[in-house]
Amino acid sequence: MPVQSLQNTDVIVPQHTPHPLLPFLQSQSQTTLTRLYQRPSSCLSIFRLLGPIERQLIMNLLWLESALSVATISAWVLPEGKDAYDSALAVMTGLHIAQNSAVKLALNPTFKSSLRQAITGGGSTGSFGVPTDKDGKRQSANIENLDAYALERWETILHYMVSSGQGQNPTKPSQGVLYLLQRSGLMNNAHGPALQITSSGFQFLLHSPHDQLWNLLLQYLHMAEERQMDLVEVLSFLFMLSTMDLGREYSTEPLSETQKAMLEDLRDYGLVWQRKTSSKRFSPTRLATTLTSSSPPLPSSHSTGGSHTADGTGAVALSSGAAQQGFIVLETNYRIYAYTDNPLQTAVLNLFITMKYRFPNLVVGMLTRESVRKALGNGISADQIISYLTTHAHPQMRKNNPLLPVTVQDQIRLWELERNRLKSAEGYLYKDFASQADYEYVLAYAKQLDVVLWENASKRCFFGTLEGHANVRGFIERRTGSV
Amino acid sequence: MEKASHLSVIVDLSPTQWHLSAQTSNQYPLSIETFLSQLLAFLNAHIASKHENSLVVFGALPGKSVLLYSSTELLSDDVPSLDANSYLPFKLVDSTVVQRIMNEFDAIGELEEEPSCALVGAVTKALCYINRITHPSSTTAGVAEDPSIVHDPRILILSVSPDLSSSYIPIMNAIFSAQKLKVTIDVCKVYGPDTVFLQQAAHLTNGSYIYLERRDALLQYLIMSFLSPTSIRKILAVPKQDKIDFRAACFCHKNIVDIGFVCSVCLSIFCQPLPVCSTCSFLSIHSNDSMLLAPFSLLQTHA
Repeated sequence: MPVQSLQNTDVIVPQHTPHPLLPFLQSQSQTTLTRLYQRPSSCLSIFRLLGPIERQLIMNLLWLESALSVATISAWVLPEGKDAYDSALAVMTGLHIAQNSAVKLALNPTFKSSLRQAITGGGSTGSFGVPTDKDGKRQSANIENLDAYALERWETILHYMVSSGQGQNPTKPSQGVLYLLQRSGLMNNAHGPALQITSSGFQFLLHSPHDQLWNLLLQYLHMAEERQMDLVEVLSFLFMLSTMDLGREYSTEPLSETQKAMLEDLRDYGLVWQRKTSSKRFSPTRLATTLTSSSPPLPSSHSTGGSHTADGTGAVALSSGAAQQGFIVLETNYRIYAYTDNPLQTAVLNLFITMKYRFPNLVVGMLTRESVRKALGNGISADQIISYLTTHAHPQMRKNNPLLPVTVQDQIRLWELERNRLKSAEGYLYKDFASQADYEYVLAYAKQLDVVLWENASKRCFFGTLEGHANVRGFIERRTGSV
Repeated sequence: MEKASHLSVIVDLSPTQWHLSAQTSNQYPLSIETFLSQLLAFLNAHIASKHENSLVVFGALPGKSVLLYSSTELLSDDVPSLDANSYLPFKLVDSTVVQRIMNEFDAIGELEEEPSCALVGAVTKALCYINRITHPSSTTAGVAEDPSIVHDPRILILSVSPDLSSSYIPIMNAIFSAQKLKVTIDVCKVYGPDTVFLQQAAHLTNGSYIYLERRDALLQYLIMSFLSPTSIRKILAVPKQDKIDFRAACFCHKNIVDIGFVCSVCLSIFCQPLPVCSTCSFLSIHSNDSMLLAPFSLLQTHA
């Protein structure tokens, strides 16, 4: 019956994990959001970050002049999709994109007119960035250089993080980046003056570049709030960058003071490129232009496989597939062959494997109990190791089904379980009951409250949770009082 | 991770039909200019939905079909200049499509009789294109989780011409290849009478066929019915036709027939009984009368 089961999985509603930025936006006030929605580029970018159902609902409502009754809209929804629809509606009202009264549903008028303007073009908001004229004297940065620049900046940050615990001295990123890393809790200086990577920092390293980027930007946004920067300007600048065209130069003239200050920070992260700090023009890099997409923000971390760099706007869509090629081969004997000469990738692998040999383009290592336990001790979970190995698997591995050897996956999970043999809970031990009947009576009451964690009838004692203590104590006191 | 979706749009650009459609004697006259401006907004909405969404536009012109726009390759060298008020990909689609349609119309010139529109040619090209992008070359075939590989390709046909019974066989062949490729074919009948073959195309590929009743609300129709990828259609319903015309065209005179005669060997359809099947030359010597072929009712309606 394989055909049958395939069809069944088809029916399952696609799961969409909300974008990390959305909760942040939802926590903002309605006035902030409405100001943000005045810019068409912001509306377009936020629209892209939403889930597929939200997007379709917005589109359905976008060209309607009047509000629709809720009953009409829910008639579109199939019974199986009710939950998904409800949560989509909740997201939209949370972001103040939709105005939901009990009977009518309409889009926020500001959002509506801006998104319309984004789609049809026109207007005079200039929210997609003012391009500069071609400069005859100096050649503008080409896409290859921009990619190289972004990659270099980004890897400097990651490499600094990964090697901080190993007593090496890699090139330091700028002071602003260091502060951000410290603020986000990815690194701290608990042990001496030098910054040390934390357990959340280790987890961060195994995320996809896209998640890493947003993670840092979110921290940046939180910081911007504290630095009294206008959040609307910060956000709309990020969204503007995400709608810009790679390989072009834009003018800094129309930017506000806040946004000019941001340019400096974003240059450090590798999101924008400028010839000189004082330059009147800037170019977004691929890190910036792919902010609202799921395509890989970095061209390729391979310096050996550099033949795949995209050479024009048209080729990007097709070549991005080749650029994402993995490099890890994992065998059933726990051996890992990583075809890479990139020090960052080697350093990340070193977090959870024992290195055996290194060649100019190949690193060979083993997944051992010690190496995996070291990683687990650093706060990395088994699932993160497995998902890292999956996303970076070599194309040759893709022929296998399942992709990673099951034995190895299971063993990594078992090593994780090994650490979880002890479970700790705070609570109270009740003992020295006068009679067996007493003990059973109290125990039955505690069980009713569902607060019993452990019991031992022969010793006449049991262990209850902290929350249940007041109730259980009161019960015992009432009982002893009444006797 | 949500996958990118691919949309191939086929625009029927028959000059005669568009001229008729713009006549003010219609209840809702729709000129090609208004049609294009609404279509472009729809195309932009598709690109807006996701950065990786791919789009191809084909035009079915009299006697030939042309590629008007493709998101994976640049068709014209003159990239429109950037301006601060519009998103470059949108501008690129709009200017390329309009410019190329104008070029094609200019090239048509004076003709005694307009040849029929090459709709099938455009459908076939769209299928070839989808085949190319869903099965990338063997070097990258292994990268299964690449988000730029599309998973539910769709074709949207915007039709204004009536059925062309001579294209029955090629259209059916195109439908069968679409089924094999798991391509959904949506049809929007913008002007003219219902077309039997396109109804069948939409039905057989699980797409939706919509006859545009309020032609002034074209964009709303397009967005609500044809923008959502198949995965979303399981949550937000799109209209499906309740009645489908299953009639076929006979192989001998290319007429659409209610009752046909089917060859018992090769299943070819004829409008009248023949002693010898013209497709497979099957000759029934056992039969006494001329009714060699079994009559077969083709008139069914879908419940």
